[in-house]
Amino acid sequence: MADRRDTSIRILIVDDHPVVLAGLTSMLGTQAGMEVVGSASGGEEALEMLRTNAADVVLLDLRMPGMSGIDTLHALKRAKINARAIILTSFETDEDIYRAVQAGAQGYLLKDAPQSDMIEAIRAVHSGKRYFPRHIAARLAERMMRTDLTSRELEVLHMLARGLTNKEIGSALAISGNTVRNHVNSIMEKLEVSDRTEAATTAIHRGLIELSN
Amino acid sequence: MKFPSLLRRRAVVALLLCLLLALGFAGLLAYLHSPSRGLPYRDSFAKGTAEEWKALGGTWELANGMMRNDSDERGAKLLSGSPYWHNYSIEADINLLGASGDAGLAIRSRNEEEGVNSYSGYYAGLRTRDNSLVLGRAEHGWMEVTKANPTPGGIRPFQWYHLKLLAYDCQIVAVVTAPSQAASTSIAINDQVCVQSGRIGLRSYSSGGIWRNVVVRSATRQDLTEMLRGAGPEGNPEPKSPVAEGPQGPSELPSAEQRKAIPRSNANTQNIENLLLSSFATPAVVTVRGVVVLTTPVLFVQDSTGGVSIPQPTAPPLKVGDEVEVTGEVHPGDFSSTMEHATVQMLWARTPVPPVSVTASQASTGRYAATFVEVQGRLAGKERGPGNTLILDLDEGPQSFRAIMNPGRGDYLFSKLKPDSSLRLRGICVVDSAFTKNLTPFVLLLRSNEDLEVLAGPPWWSTGHVIVLIVASLLLALIGVFLYHRVEHWRLRAILEERERLAHEMHDTLAQSFAGIGFQLQAIRNGLPDQASPLNQQLELASNLVRHSHEEARRSIATLRTEDMESEDILAALDRCARRMVEGGTVEVVAQREGDQRTIPLRIADTLYRIGQEAVANAVRHAHPSLLTIRLAYRGDSVCLLIEDDGDGFVQGSGLSGFGIRGMRRRAQSISAAFQLQSKPGGGTRIRVEATLPPRLTLASWPKLLWKYGKEHWIDGRSARHVHSHSYRG
Repeated sequence: MADRRDTSIRILIVDDHPVVLAGLTSMLGTQAGMEVVGSASGGEEALEMLRTNAADVVLLDLRMPGMSGIDTLHALKRAKINARAIILTSFETDEDIYRAVQAGAQGYLLKDAPQSDMIEAIRAVHSGKRYFPRHIAARLAERMMRTDLTSRELEVLHMLARGLTNKEIGSALAISGNTVRNHVNSIMEKLEVSDRTEAATTAIHRGLIELSN
Repeated sequence: MKFPSLLRRRAVVALLLCLLLALGFAGLLAYLHSPSRGLPYRDSFAKGTAEEWKALGGTWELANGMMRNDSDERGAKLLSGSPYWHNYSIEADINLLGASGDAGLAIRSRNEEEGVNSYSGYYAGLRTRDNSLVLGRAEHGWMEVTKANPTPGGIRPFQWYHLKLLAYDCQIVAVVTAPSQAASTSIAINDQVCVQSGRIGLRSYSSGGIWRNVVVRSATRQDLTEMLRGAGPEGNPEPKSPVAEGPQGPSELPSAEQRKAIPRSNANTQNIENLLLSSFATPAVVTVRGVVVLTTPVLFVQDSTGGVSIPQPTAPPLKVGDEVEVTGEVHPGDFSSTMEHATVQMLWARTPVPPVSVTASQASTGRYAATFVEVQGRLAGKERGPGNTLILDLDEGPQSFRAIMNPGRGDYLFSKLKPDSSLRLRGICVVDSAFTKNLTPFVLLLRSNEDLEVLAGPPWWSTGHVIVLIVASLLLALIGVFLYHRVEHWRLRAILEERERLAHEMHDTLAQSFAGIGFQLQAIRNGLPDQASPLNQQLELASNLVRHSHEEARRSIATLRTEDMESEDILAALDRCARRMVEGGTVEVVAQREGDQRTIPLRIADTLYRIGQEAVANAVRHAHPSLLTIRLAYRGDSVCLLIEDDGDGFVQGSGLSGFGIRGMRRRAQSISAAFQLQSKPGGGTRIRVEATLPPRLTLASWPKLLWKYGKEHWIDGRSARHVHSHSYRG
């Protein structure tokens, strides 16, 4: 037993959905050389567990109530907890991937990936490598080439997608309509689009903004 | 607490506004009901304006800066002032135009109507019949209270008297002074239950009259006592029943005394018609007899055969309706004659002659020259002539003519007249070029503005009105369209927000559960020792099903999130979707469009997109193609989506692919689209969906579409939704 504990990969699963937690725990528990040391339903719980109980690999869901996957990654970094994280999510927008990598994720997997891919990813990350499936890597590369929007531009983009006019955005942010127009022009340039509607559509497709919050 | 305080502030502001409004209204009401509003009042007859006066009967006209009523009507009134005037006095100079009636002033008059004594109030009058000053109360009937005989001289026609009438509380005082004499006569009444307030009036009974220098002032008790000091015995109105007929008596015929005064009439009078036969060369002196029909600007006399004009006669003061005898030189004209150097003798007062009703064409023949006629016409224009006279240009059919009115009381009516109104006019028909200026065949000289009657206003379809109507309806239409688009925009936004919420919900429950169940099935499979057992195979099928369902759920979520299908069109969306799926692979994706792109209703676009997505996914995941073609063809009234690959193909109705195909077929049915699938092993797959589009929006199809929309809207609100989703971009 002691021997196995030394060589097997210790895994912590973080997901807000109990069915996913249970399924993953069962599946990975049956794998040789892997041990699920715990499961957490949120970022805070995961941090708590990692403080007392070291894990080699953390399987992290991106979207969770409270602390999101990205927030959790940042918190891990701040707390100087040394754990390698793989994002396991059903989202694959450019922005999600990009932000996860920026926050220090070592791998990125979709939840409908086959078991073999998952095992491979865990092994690779555990051994110090990074794991990104081909199409995720391609999208990441594409995203890397684009210029980032500033936070003000993101704010403007958010309101723009809600159908506000320049004037309305200006009064909401307490800036002049001309300034808003400049921001909008800059946004359209960075997103490589030709009009406002397209800017909003593209932003939603890439995950730059979400309409629901 | 930002909200309630804001609300409270708004409520306070609204309350203040209401209060201010109420105060303003109350102030306005108090001002309008003030018992001294507009006092003191001084007439502006001398300036030729009298718009504030309203006539009830009579022929009230301004002449030489004085108000003149030529008619013998019994109880003709001219009213002005505020019905709330309470304590005040009215004074005026009065000149009677006849020997058989009275003229005077009314005070505190209200509820006036046309008719002899049809008002409530007090009246003081100068009466020639019994040389008296009378004072009494009218309550739609006459109650004479007191009278006095001014001495010396009595009351005579054509002589100026100064009459002052004062009302203070329930005491009414009247004073008359003849300008030639210093002595004045006054009478007073003390009415127990008096008329509290009312307007002022000029009134005459059977005599006509001239009024000037009308002055109204507020009165105090001191004014009353000063006037009473000179007043005679104070009368008390006894509650006797009102006498409907005035005490003046209905005598139209000259009394015996007057008859004595009538000069002897010439026996050799001629018919006016015969004057036309007189010689041009040697003007003969003849005598005619007739009734005065017009006094200013020129005297016109008419008998049963025709009329004659008498410029600058030697005559006593005359009024319309007087029977006269004229002796003078005859100058025959083409249609009517003129009598010059004429002497006019007044015989007695008579009822004015009624007008002859003629058409403009008849009047233009000259047959009715110098006679009193009534004509109808349409107002073509109006202008001011020399001497500030008012000129109306009128048409009746092809015939045009003019009417001339004296300024003064007619001013207001004149300014109110609208071109194209239909008018009825009474006046002296004149064909003399001095009046017609050879512009029109005849001119009507109107005696007063009572001779003008508006039969009908201008028709509503005048150019201005039509333009205003068109502009208004255009504006309304614009506002309607704007509102419609706004509402549609809000509705679509609400739909999008709901879809987004739904997507979130699905992601958080359905998709996650599929993922979890998939992991669980995988775990069971991992635990099975024998990889080839039927149980394992079944488990594999089960996990494949779950994965397929998971994919479908993810796609549903993606579709729900697809922000706006129309703004980027299905083809681009499918192209992007396909490229994303084959990312990093070797599959070539070709997207083609045929025909003119047009707007596709949201529901159809959605369904096509999801069928396309499924087809593309199947091709990429299972068929291993090297080329994937997506084609969207727009036809006249349909759109066709074609997805073709050169991959493995399959035998229809087998394995997992059956699920996806059934799903596509069902989706196609939901929008009544034709679905075709061709595939054989090794020969690639071809999927074709053709959906019918609603009719295009053209000007001609609008009514049809509206009708259809209305029908669908009432029968099935949901199915109508997609008809108008073209405004999605809004």
